[in-house]
Amino acid sequence: MLISLTMIACSAASSVADTPLHKWVDMAVGMGSVGFENVAADDAGDAAFARRLYLDLTGMIPSAEQARRFLADRSTDKRARLIDQLLTSPQYARRMQYEFDTMLMERRPDKHIKSDEWRNYLRQSFAQNKPWDQLVSEMLTADGTDEKTRPAARFLLDREMKTDTMTRDLGRIFLGRDLQCAQCHDHPNIEGYLQRHYHGLAAFLNRSYLFTDPKSKQTSIGEKAEGAVKFTSVFTSESDETAPRLLDLPPIEDPPAAEEPYTVKPDKKVRSVPVYSRRLQLAAAMTDPANVAFRRNIANRLWALMMGRGIVEPLDMWHAENPPLRPALLDLLADTLADHDYDIRYLLRELALTKTYQQSSQYNGDAEDSDAAHFAVSMLKPLSPEQLAWSMMQATSLTETTLKDLKAKHLAAGTEDAEKQIDDPLWQEETLHNALKAHVDTFAGLFGVVGIQTSRFDASADQALFVRNGAALQSWIASGSGQLTSRLNMLQPPDLIDEFYFSVFSRPPAIGEIHFVTQFLEQQPDDRESAIRKLVWAALSSAEFRFNH
Amino acid sequence: MRRNQGCNPLEHEMARRRFLTSTVAGAAGIGLVDTHAQADQLKHQQKRILQVFLQGGVSQLESWDPKPGTVHGGPFQAIPTSVPGIHISELLPNIAQRMHLLSIVRSINIKINDHEQGRQFMEKGRRVGQFPYVGAVASKYLATPNSNLPGYVHVSSRGLSDVAGGAAFLGAKHGQLKLEGIKPPGNLSAPAGIDAVADASRDKLRLQFNQRFADRRSKAMTEAYDASYDQAAGLMERRAMFEGTASKKDLERYGTHDFGRYCLLARTLLENGAACVKVTHHGYDSHAENFNFHLEQLGEFDRPFCMLLDDLETRGMLESTLVVIYSEFGRTPKVNVRYGRDHWGTAWSIALGGCGIQPGAVIGSTNETGTEVADREVDASHLFHTYLQAVGLDSTAEHDLPGRSIPIGDPATESIQELLV
Repeated sequence: MLISLTMIACSAASSVADTPLHKWVDMAVGMGSVGFENVAADDAGDAAFARRLYLDLTGMIPSAEQARRFLADRSTDKRARLIDQLLTSPQYARRMQYEFDTMLMERRPDKHIKSDEWRNYLRQSFAQNKPWDQLVSEMLTADGTDEKTRPAARFLLDREMKTDTMTRDLGRIFLGRDLQCAQCHDHPNIEGYLQRHYHGLAAFLNRSYLFTDPKSKQTSIGEKAEGAVKFTSVFTSESDETAPRLLDLPPIEDPPAAEEPYTVKPDKKVRSVPVYSRRLQLAAAMTDPANVAFRRNIANRLWALMMGRGIVEPLDMWHAENPPLRPALLDLLADTLADHDYDIRYLLRELALTKTYQQSSQYNGDAEDSDAAHFAVSMLKPLSPEQLAWSMMQATSLTETTLKDLKAKHLAAGTEDAEKQIDDPLWQEETLHNALKAHVDTFAGLFGVVGIQTSRFDASADQALFVRNGAALQSWIASGSGQLTSRLNMLQPPDLIDEFYFSVFSRPPAIGEIHFVTQFLEQQPDDRESAIRKLVWAALSSAEFRFNH
Repeated sequence: MRRNQGCNPLEHEMARRRFLTSTVAGAAGIGLVDTHAQADQLKHQQKRILQVFLQGGVSQLESWDPKPGTVHGGPFQAIPTSVPGIHISELLPNIAQRMHLLSIVRSINIKINDHEQGRQFMEKGRRVGQFPYVGAVASKYLATPNSNLPGYVHVSSRGLSDVAGGAAFLGAKHGQLKLEGIKPPGNLSAPAGIDAVADASRDKLRLQFNQRFADRRSKAMTEAYDASYDQAAGLMERRAMFEGTASKKDLERYGTHDFGRYCLLARTLLENGAACVKVTHHGYDSHAENFNFHLEQLGEFDRPFCMLLDDLETRGMLESTLVVIYSEFGRTPKVNVRYGRDHWGTAWSIALGGCGIQPGAVIGSTNETGTEVADREVDASHLFHTYLQAVGLDSTAEHDLPGRSIPIGDPATESIQELLV
């Protein structure tokens, strides 16, 4: 173990080895060591792997056909090929849009920037595989005056330019540190969360303000040329002041005051622009290689996205008392990601290739729950509201039937190139998304949490009532043409059961399951169609469906 | 040691938990057993809690701690009550006649002037960290077995965000079911074409799927998921309770406005076995026109609340129901330029009564002008201990959580002993 960690440290620094990252990751997790192998789970198997990967990279379960095709593929590199295929699909960009929107905006309502524009900006960014440092720079630099870059300004503008809100969220979301308590005093329980960290971050932003154009009513970010950040501890009454600085990095001192400090002087009617902007120093300081917290934070978050739990958990609670479970692993991921120009697709690909990602969520022997925390067993990941909505629509074939209708409509409209367009994956994804978006919003409203996101799972009675009795799900389960229920109704066991399992659970049924479902269908007194509806409902509301496992 | 940190997040808890596991671990086993036995006993006795939350921060000077004729006293008078020697604001005439059923704590200093942080402290009895609300604790330890209702129900006209319904580590089952006024929860009826038999058979099938999936898998999340379906089923069985319209006589007594109807629903919920019902009366954040606001708000609050109190008493439920009227903080003695009073956690009051509470008592006092606590200073952690001990729960014990050692109340403080019967 010691040897492998030293090797990891070397490789991260110099990238000498040809060994790909995913192999180093497995070693850093503990694979190969006797203690770890004793509790480690088996490989998940192809079907479980495919379901997991489709959910993680495209945001929904595979269709029955996709699941079958993957299982039937006999080539040895099929997992790697599926990873590559999904990472370049339009669904990948959508999935990342959902995840990063939730991470960055935490399901806040729209304020100054239309969320559709912001989400489109995110999706385009992930479709281009924009490096993370570039994406963050854009968000921290845009001031909302240029229509082209305006959506990127949502992170700051929709926090109303409130210094405390922006400071806390910059710390939490980009540095993995919730410095809120350090606003008023050095943290009492946590060594290393200091008041100057909070105020150093605040100093980048406290001169900036929300400007509303009196004529157009459009909001943007204005900035003053003066305003120092002073702070006093409520405990010790010691005072200090700070120039902008990131955690323990040196403060960024203002240049000598210019004779005329403004490009545009402050006035009620105009957005003031200083010659020297403190806010515009933030992006460079944040993404500077010296700011280790920035790369560790995103590496930890991407790891959590794939593995269900951060190496530091909670994701915004990095401090000496809550260290990473595997410090070397996190540094390896962070440094390699930075070396690869913050290529998110690269890191997700390597993570998906690890044995750690591909292991089963079932324990071996009598391993305890806690082992999952150490990545020896795959964790259950609750589906996000968006994943749940899309997966239910996928399982009941609503996606397929809707797309079929949309294609027919598009052809009937007789647009030029329509025939070519309807086979374009991007056209398909966007058209289908627009058609079914309202359903996704309903799920987001009911299953989503507004505010600070946690990895914890929670379920409430109103969610269960929605699944039990809500009109949406009932109509999806109904036997409309081409929908799952009517398709199943035309089949007989065992084909019926096979189709059912592939459609909902993305896997073939076990022998015992064929038996148990056949028995259920035989015992139902009423007509077969309503028995099938019960079967579909029970599967959609089951734990196996609710979690990514 | 106990300083105003004005903070709420997790890291305190984490640092603290580490401390606790190293020091209290030895006692954990005993604590668990005790709590468990206690829960069974309590369930038998069916104790419960009614919380009336005056959202925004009711003014102590216009309610429980009037100071007429003093510099900050405001225009309202103090009136005598059914308990000789206790005076409360003239804005609460009906409560004044029932003061012998209630007691007042006049010496609260939570050192917090923020709505959200104050509310969290008042609910959790802890300044920081993710701890369960009073209602979630009640749901876990007081809910009757086989109760068809979620243990903790909150009736409110609008949403306040309560992470995990205030359940924290007690699990979603004990989180609050939030009712939007008297509107029944959505999706309460089975879909057309699915009768009770069909519903039961599809639900049985769901459980069979779950049983297969549970094999050698982590239980924590799947159990929480299952619990949500149990609660949904319980609510469906009790649909009639939400659909039942209030009688004309009840409406005459309680009033036909929202808060009156909420109090009626609270009565029904308590009678049907809810362990904790919280009713929120919104609109006390009177930064401007404090006096007009309180005249109006307390006018709406006073009578329906008293009708509910009367009904609990005449139905013999008051001795097993703890009643608490509280806010997230009080209001500044100093009246601002807009005739408002601002946020004030420094010296304010709550009222409580019923199960386990010495009636007709006043605990603590503020100074002559109400600017400071003069005597018997307490904060929300003391109140938290007091509420739970009033319903017979040992708040100094550990939570009934296998493998974890978490004291129910803040181990650094204790209950207000002289208030308990």
